[in-house]
Amino acid sequence: MHIRCWDELVKYGALDILKREYGSLLIAQPEHEYNVSLVIDLEQVPTDTEARDAFILSVALFKRNALAAPFELGFKTQKELEASGGSQGELMQVHYRDEEAIYVQASPDRVTVIFSTIFQDETDRIFGKVFLQEFVDARRQPSIQTAPQVLYTNRDPPLEIRHVPGLRNTDDIGYVTFVLFPRHFANASIASSSISHIQLFRDYLHYHIKCSKAYMHSRMRHRVVEFQKVLNRAKTEVATTERKTVTGRTLVTR
Amino acid sequence: MSNVLRPYLAAVRSTLTAALTLENFSSQVNILLIVLSILLMSFKVVERHNKPEVEAGGSKEVLLNPLIISRNENERVLIEPSVNSIRLSIKIKQADEIERILCHKFTRFMMQRAESFIVLRRKPVPGYDISFLITNTHSETMLKHKIVDFIIQFMEEVDKEISEMKLSLNARARTVAESYLTAFNT
Repeated sequence: MHIRCWDELVKYGALDILKREYGSLLIAQPEHEYNVSLVIDLEQVPTDTEARDAFILSVALFKRNALAAPFELGFKTQKELEASGGSQGELMQVHYRDEEAIYVQASPDRVTVIFSTIFQDETDRIFGKVFLQEFVDARRQPSIQTAPQVLYTNRDPPLEIRHVPGLRNTDDIGYVTFVLFPRHFANASIASSSISHIQLFRDYLHYHIKCSKAYMHSRMRHRVVEFQKVLNRAKTEVATTERKTVTGRTLVTR
Repeated sequence: MSNVLRPYLAAVRSTLTAALTLENFSSQVNILLIVLSILLMSFKVVERHNKPEVEAGGSKEVLLNPLIISRNENERVLIEPSVNSIRLSIKIKQADEIERILCHKFTRFMMQRAESFIVLRRKPVPGYDISFLITNTHSETMLKHKIVDFIIQFMEEVDKEISEMKLSLNARARTVAESYLTAFNT
């Protein structure tokens, strides 16, 4: 696997996580031009269906496991801070896309995850604002009281990362902050499902923005067809009758 | 049709019906203009070419008084009649950013299909969102009251459509947020 933020991930303990998940499959020297490689001996793959599926799933989550490093470190730091009563963990930065990054910071009572995301289009930006406003407001509903708190700012970066150099301050960038409380990573299985879910956020958001744009287009297309039908009713019918001569030959209009 | 909209649309309908008395007019040019153009060689003046006068804007005698029917500051209709054509421009209500984007997309969608819409103008008149150009040929080949029907129906439908799209966008956003955040509970 080649991933642009590999060095940052290693700094936050990615290799330990990969060793834990894949053990001996991880080879010491990755392939040329890649950051990390797995070797799978086809003879050694488990044969019974359940174990086989679990194995396939585990290999498929290769990238997810690598990207989980800063989150797991954040959770661990939070537990340490809670116990020792320290103030703030270090701010971890992962530049996983061209101009977008994830920032993770642990505090004694929570873990803060900040996404910076770019909206290329003017329309995307406005749709994104509507969607993210709903994310912020969703907490008012009783069924989602326990979900992480979401905050959103349009161009100014949130307080926690204001001091980071190289931040863009243009109109097309948005910052989304998730506040994860200890109940979201209380035990290992909840923690790992929270991590998987958080990693998908950016793609989930952009997918839904594009989907709603496509829906708008199909609606508009339908409406335009309707209008055309109405307009066609306005056209008068031109009578096209065939004219024949006395001997039976048809007159042709050129 | 909502009650508040009714008098506005009725006014537009009656004005349009009155203004749609168009006749064929091949352009006229007076002598002075011809002399001037020959001397200056700068602009082309043609006689007996059949152009929609409201677009060509040649002489004052062929253009009639333009009329604005406005419901409020943000919604108005401009009717510019002339001897052989009418230009009707509509400014659609756009309360916030979302409506502005939706309205802009919708009118652009329609204007790209102006060929098939016959009476639609490819670019709106400055200050308005969408413009229609109805010439004497249109009023000869199409039933006049049906053209007026179409315009009025368009005005009703466009407002309804924009608010429906905005509602569906908000509903979708709410569902998306809900489903994402509930997944954190399990």
